[in-house]
Amino acid sequence: MRSHREIYGRYVNKKTLTQTAFADMIPKVMKMERFVEQTLLFDFYGDLLTEHQRSVYEDVVLGDLTYSEAAEEYGVSRQGVHELVKRCNHMMEEYEQKLHLVQKFRSIRDSAKELRQVSGRTRELTPEQISEALERISDHILEEL
Amino acid sequence: MAVKIRLRRMGKKKNPFYRIVVADSRSPRDGRCIEEIGTYNPNTDPSEFKINEELAKKWLATGAQPTETVGKLFKLAGIEK
Repeated sequence: MRSHREIYGRYVNKKTLTQTAFADMIPKVMKMERFVEQTLLFDFYGDLLTEHQRSVYEDVVLGDLTYSEAAEEYGVSRQGVHELVKRCNHMMEEYEQKLHLVQKFRSIRDSAKELRQVSGRTRELTPEQISEALERISDHILEEL
Repeated sequence: MAVKIRLRRMGKKKNPFYRIVVADSRSPRDGRCIEEIGTYNPNTDPSEFKINEELAKKWLATGAQPTETVGKLFKLAGIEK
């Protein structure tokens, strides 16, 4: 398995690292995460879209169809698909700004991961350390609710 | 035959997971794919991808078009045409 981080490492080793070269690498990874962000928004707020919007959005963002492929599929213009995706993104981002469901989900998922880590290390930790960690994590969960 | 390499979302709700598949571009919506050449898992930090380099190169050489997102993944993986 390769990860982004390893790829970074290879990149840095292979070429002379200039400020601009490195700055150039970051947006690429960020862009990669963009559609993951869209997928998550869709998982939480997709049901609030109309059936047509949902269907097109699903094909473009989850099915990785190009705008023109989706346009042909639905008998609308390419521009229309573009507008629809943009509008759906905008709507769902607005819901997220008000409801923070994705943010809460992420934060609680992180807490759950931490709990697992603590559970895996019970032998090396003292009971005090364990209860301290559990309290900290549960506070964090409560804060997010 | 016009062939595309695209991502396809799998995985449960709120737990996205993608496969990189080779599929016929003329019927993009039917779920069939010709071959699966990799995966992309954004749930870990940093996210992980796995690409069968040999297959990817084979399909690129036969003229399969990667979508923009797959192109980015290939670039990150250092796979060039």
